[in-house]
Amino acid sequence: MLDFPHTQSAHCESGVAANLLTHQGLTISEAMAFGLGGGLFFGYFPFIRINGLPLVTYRAAAGNILRQIASIDGVSMVEKKFRNQDEAMAELDQALAASIPVGLQTGVFWLPYFPKALRFHFNAHNLVVYGKEGNEYLISDPVFPTPVRCPATDLARARFASGALAPKGKMYYLTRVPAELKLKPHIVQGIRFVCKMMLASPFPLIGVKGIRFLAKRLGKWPQRLGPEQADLHLGHVVRMQEEIGTGGGGFRFMYAAFLQESAAAMQEPRLQECAASLTAAGDTWREFAAMAARLCKKRGRPEDSYPAMVACLNRCAAMEEKVFTELRQWTRQQP
Amino acid sequence: MELPDRSSAEDVTDGLKIVSYAVNSNGEYELTQDFVWQPVGVVNHQAWEEIAKKISISRNKVTAGRVSCLHYYMTANQMDIGLVAQYTRQPRWKVCLHLIPFVFARVSADTLRKYADMYRVSLADLRNGRLLAPIYNNE
Repeated sequence: MLDFPHTQSAHCESGVAANLLTHQGLTISEAMAFGLGGGLFFGYFPFIRINGLPLVTYRAAAGNILRQIASIDGVSMVEKKFRNQDEAMAELDQALAASIPVGLQTGVFWLPYFPKALRFHFNAHNLVVYGKEGNEYLISDPVFPTPVRCPATDLARARFASGALAPKGKMYYLTRVPAELKLKPHIVQGIRFVCKMMLASPFPLIGVKGIRFLAKRLGKWPQRLGPEQADLHLGHVVRMQEEIGTGGGGFRFMYAAFLQESAAAMQEPRLQECAASLTAAGDTWREFAAMAARLCKKRGRPEDSYPAMVACLNRCAAMEEKVFTELRQWTRQQP
Repeated sequence: MELPDRSSAEDVTDGLKIVSYAVNSNGEYELTQDFVWQPVGVVNHQAWEEIAKKISISRNKVTAGRVSCLHYYMTANQMDIGLVAQYTRQPRWKVCLHLIPFVFARVSADTLRKYADMYRVSLADLRNGRLLAPIYNNE
């Protein structure tokens, strides 16, 4: 059986990327994979609904990290989608027989080993299958502390979950990685990508503008939706920000960890400062989430209110604008 | 920062240890397994309460005979008509019709099997309108 280096991580996609690269002999941390893949983002899309609530996302679209990493010089990745369930499972078995660990996109709802409280219809969960024993697959799910097992029928269902972001049996594996990675240019490229998303998008629902837009809308929720619905919307925003797979603070802490690691790798004190400022931004996000949770629980303190949360979000936007402007300046000075 | 009280924070992950990023005393980031941030539990709990509320409304409607038991299974498994239609590969209007008890009682065995397979119940359960637990509660 395949010896797969399972390392627990905070976010599924960057965790899978890091584990797959490490398996190929290129040891890389999760935060580094997240940063190289340009994983950080902000978007508020009220026209896309999840369980009837508007989509708020703190990270790049599903698959973005892997796509960015696959585009690195010397890395080749095979990616396949399927129409037919049996074909998809046969292809997976074939790859496993050739002892290739395979990454899969799955729907969380159908995975029996997931904690009950997290089984929502969320279809962009990534995991690695590294073996099969009888009718069970051996799975390295990056958010779990140890490898887990999953029956074949459940895995087949999870791979063909329907709804938003349907995985359509997507599987991928690395065929080639360079012997060593020159981190520097890729770090710069990854940061450049995130800065562009956060600062320079013409679309007002994305990046720093998106945070301000959310703040404006959030302030109107109690009048527009009524107190009960407003609290539900608020809880949804906090769940997207803090629930499993985010590393806390809406991925801000993970990205700060990446900046810190890059600062050490490149001997660059400016990145270290940016990491500290981003941590402060993450703490402000948490301040917002804590206040929101108190309101959702009807245990608000006298100072907790929707206007106070709007102010908090605007503070987040200002802090992030500052961090990413500084980072953008830095990338412009790089060769 | 002072956090809301601890209730329901543990059952988010069923005792599963997850990791998150935190700054240690040297100001360096590390992955720690030690804690689940409390508000996570609060908002997760809120989401499940909303689902439970919807399920109990649906249960009442089914017992009152206003909708078929398919409506209960759909709600209990957090689906909407579009999602059920996609999973069973039927047009949405058919699923809509099947929510009416009169129509549901006359649905063919083949169609019924699609629903039974998806919700992991038997044909007899669906025919007799037995309301069993959703998928995520069985295991």
